[in-house]
Amino acid sequence: MATEDRTIDGFGQVSRTVGTVFRYLLLAATLIGIVALVILLLFVANDAIQPLTADPGWHLTFFATLVVPTLAVGGYLASRNQSAAAVGVGTIGLAVVTTMFAGGLSLIFVDIVDSITWAAAVLTLAVPTAAVVAIARVSNRSPLELLAVAVILYYVSLFGVPGPLRSVVGTGQLLPGVGSAVASIPVLPVDWMLLFATFTLPVAVVVRYYARQLVDDRTATAIVAVGLVAVAIAATAAPTAGITPVPATVLASVVLLPTMTYVTTTALSRPHDRVGLALPGAVFGGSLLGAVAVRTLGYAGPQAWVDWQFLTSAHSRNAIDAGLYPAIGGSILLMLTVAVLSFPLGVGAAIYLEEYAPDNKLTRLIDVNISNLAGVPSVVYGLLGLGVFVRYFGQPSGTVLVGGATLALLILPIVIISSREAIRSVPNELRQASYGMGATRWQTVKNVILPRSFSGVLTGTILALGRAIGETAPLIMIGAPDVLFSLPADLSSKVSAMPLQVFAWSSLYATPEFYQRAVPAGVVVLVSVLLSMNSVAIVLRNKFE
Amino acid sequence: MGTDDISAELTRNTKNAPPELLTRVFFFICAALSVVTTASIVVLLVSEAAKFFSVTAPLVGFAGETVSMVDFLTGTTWQVGSGEYGVLALVSATILITVGAGVISIPLGVATAIYLSEYASTRARSILKPALEVLAGIPTVVYGFFALIYITPAIQTLLPDTGTFNLAAASTVVGIMIIPMVASISEDAMSAVPDELKQAGYGMGATKFDVSTGIVVPAALSGIFSSFILALSRAIGETMAVTVAAGSQANFLPPWDPTSYLEGALPMTAAMIQLLLSDITGGGLAYRSLFAIGLTLFVLTLTMNIISDVITQRYREEY
Repeated sequence: MATEDRTIDGFGQVSRTVGTVFRYLLLAATLIGIVALVILLLFVANDAIQPLTADPGWHLTFFATLVVPTLAVGGYLASRNQSAAAVGVGTIGLAVVTTMFAGGLSLIFVDIVDSITWAAAVLTLAVPTAAVVAIARVSNRSPLELLAVAVILYYVSLFGVPGPLRSVVGTGQLLPGVGSAVASIPVLPVDWMLLFATFTLPVAVVVRYYARQLVDDRTATAIVAVGLVAVAIAATAAPTAGITPVPATVLASVVLLPTMTYVTTTALSRPHDRVGLALPGAVFGGSLLGAVAVRTLGYAGPQAWVDWQFLTSAHSRNAIDAGLYPAIGGSILLMLTVAVLSFPLGVGAAIYLEEYAPDNKLTRLIDVNISNLAGVPSVVYGLLGLGVFVRYFGQPSGTVLVGGATLALLILPIVIISSREAIRSVPNELRQASYGMGATRWQTVKNVILPRSFSGVLTGTILALGRAIGETAPLIMIGAPDVLFSLPADLSSKVSAMPLQVFAWSSLYATPEFYQRAVPAGVVVLVSVLLSMNSVAIVLRNKFE
Repeated sequence: MGTDDISAELTRNTKNAPPELLTRVFFFICAALSVVTTASIVVLLVSEAAKFFSVTAPLVGFAGETVSMVDFLTGTTWQVGSGEYGVLALVSATILITVGAGVISIPLGVATAIYLSEYASTRARSILKPALEVLAGIPTVVYGFFALIYITPAIQTLLPDTGTFNLAAASTVVGIMIIPMVASISEDAMSAVPDELKQAGYGMGATKFDVSTGIVVPAALSGIFSSFILALSRAIGETMAVTVAAGSQANFLPPWDPTSYLEGALPMTAAMIQLLLSDITGGGLAYRSLFAIGLTLFVLTLTMNIISDVITQRYREEY
């Protein structure tokens, strides 16, 4: 800036001090917020886990079995082979995230949907879908005929013959629907076998699809087959370890199957990075060894408030007995409802605006409107839920459906905006090539746009779902109860949620016991769920960008 | 929008084939749903709020207890129990929190944006940007708890007069929460500054400091300002953090007096939550006051969003 005066006696001499100071000031400013949050999170984790209440021997044992080996292996990998280190971290991350996910799913299969209902629902939808796909493959029918066939097949599958048309036709029920047929089979296989057939197998198909991208067809099939056998063994062996077969099946299918497949495919397709698998080995082996060691040596662990009891019991007036179980279940159900409602609607809107919309006033109105909706405070969405869903449509207040619909409306603009970005990043050449080959618009969307932008769309949706899980205000507005002692049984029962429970503890039960125990524990659970969702989204984005 | 004329030509013959028509109509309904949402928000807020004011209640054919609009807009006492609905008591708290959050988030956010767009290496960016996203992803009720349990005691050791519920702690966490918003929007604006301008600066012998403060920031000024407005509008609508940390007693505090920050008050959003939790009867005066505050909030945030839009549209430097 002041170079003009200096040109006379020292051209090009500029003090570096200002620039250096400025640079470090900027860095400090960038870090302040992050550091503040990390400190606060450490405080709350300390309150919830209380590491200092453990015996020194406990710390020493785990330091020796877990921390030292992990640091040694991690340091070696980070300095020698970065991509192997990434494989190691990826395996650990996959195991941790899938375990969390499996925990949520087990909760659903144990307490909300029993295996028979689930199997019946899956078959009801799968049978007609398979039939329609088969017909479309074999015969060359026009779309309208196919649609008619599909409608008939789904109708028969859902309601049987003649179903609700009974009164019109005037006969009794001749054939049951697939769902009631399954339910009426006199001798049903054991419930975990039903789950194995209708839950584990679809998971295996998805896992095999991803394995196919790294190894050849036969190897992928073999890996997944071994995984399926492992799941079956886990389910049969679980009762000996005191776990019922249903959650064991879910855990094994969601954790074991993908993690095993990831490990073996990586080991086969990237021989140089095999060494990275030592890192998860060090972490999990070390934890196991440490756990065995402290038990035999008799060292007491920390008195953490986040424990099995906290995760599996309901609220109590007594802070020590209070738990988060109904709130966890409520959050999971809400998240499923929100995902089911907002994903198709949000992606559909994004596709319309990016691929179909003509450049006219209506399009611009929708465009401006969406960006403004993203700025509407969440309480106002809560008012919308209260005024429209509860008061106008007469829905009972505080149900899963009303809460899910309100939260879905809340995150819809975010889903739309991020999906639009993902769709926009699909190169135009691909579209032109597709159109040039004579594809129609829908064919282009289905075969080119959606597959290419899927990971971006998924990232945005996961982030938006994270926002939905963290929201409290709209749930309060629609009348969700502060305290719920049981899981919601279906979509029209009252729902609580993790942030709502944390709010109830920190405002309505504002005693020091709750501040020191229940609330920090709830915060730790909530924040870990959100952080793992965020990291999944970030990994997805980095991988596919 | 993403299509050009050629693709329209190429797909014209198949445009109205059944699958095409069905999918197009479905996608259009999805997009139109957003307009329906806005329309229902506006209709709901206006119609319910109209039943709250004595001026407008006859217009919608509502006969019941109402409140004078002048009292609502100029009153400084908010006492639902005794029927006093002076929204200024709530607005003053909201203003204080918004200003406090702005004082924290604006300098930090802009500095972060400059660092990320001009100084940070690719590697540093790939770590810092997700970390900032996490800052915005923590649930607000958790921030409220942090403010109440950790930040308030810290403030109390410095200033012993501070109440258990106070605006200082609430504004601090709201400020931290909106840093990522200021940073990411400002950074987008800074990255959009063409490289030629910066290179011209360097070619003239300017240092990185000169280029950052003399070229990049002025060129991106409209984007930076619109980020301020959007972030402040977010702070106004922020609910759970202030509900937990700011207090539950409506209290008119002069926004120009810094000592107000040491006291507790009831911002608009927290007042709505409080009304909801206090067993109000559907359709009663308290219930309708909810929509009057909601309307005030909606109009306020909408105006700010529109202003921010206008600033980016009108004052954007075109290159």
